[in-house]
Amino acid sequence: MMTTVVIQTIARVVVPFLQLFGLYIIVHGPVSPGGGFQGGVIVGASMILLALSYDLSSAETKVSHKVRIAMDSTGALLFAGMGLLCLLVGGVFLEYGIIPLPMAPAEVRGLMILLVGVAIGIHIMALAASLFLHLAEEHDT
Amino acid sequence: MSVFLVIVLALCFTALLCTYRLISGPTLPDRIVAAQAITTKTLAILTLLAFMYEQMIFLDISLTYAVLAFLSVLAVARYLERGKVG
Repeated sequence: MMTTVVIQTIARVVVPFLQLFGLYIIVHGPVSPGGGFQGGVIVGASMILLALSYDLSSAETKVSHKVRIAMDSTGALLFAGMGLLCLLVGGVFLEYGIIPLPMAPAEVRGLMILLVGVAIGIHIMALAASLFLHLAEEHDT
Repeated sequence: MSVFLVIVLALCFTALLCTYRLISGPTLPDRIVAAQAITTKTLAILTLLAFMYEQMIFLDISLTYAVLAFLSVLAVARYLERGKVG
């Protein structure tokens, strides 16, 4: 059973702005409150809003199970890869300042914090949507 | 003591009154409406505090809070209507 037209219209209008706001939170992670996890949760919440206002299968068609698994693994792999990159150039895990880029160490740290935030955001936005969709499916018997 | 601080304190007091209904509400819809009222008051308090302290970063937090509150009340409403979410 679908919900009323009011909720569907609100969801259709709000979902793009919600995703844009989540991306803003992720990208502004190094300079403001928030970061990868919080922004990822907001982008995942947009998919939960879609599943709640329409039905589960419409959200499933937007982000299928395969896409979510791929995003989940990609985020975790990027995060671990950036940590291990610091090991390769001779530092400890996630020691960003040691990476040899043509910039000041503080700028390198800021850039790497942004990239790690994006990796965590990709991971969490798939995970938050997956948690809701799978838990709602289980009770669908 | 500015007028905004008085308004914030008054909103906090009314949120406490809603907490009574949240704890002792006889039915589940009573509790949901009380929780939603507290959420709306918290939003107003956050926005006023952002204006008072000139920390516009609080507006991001209140925006996030509003979105997640809308989601939660939608989920509970669907649960009440159908006995399951989704």
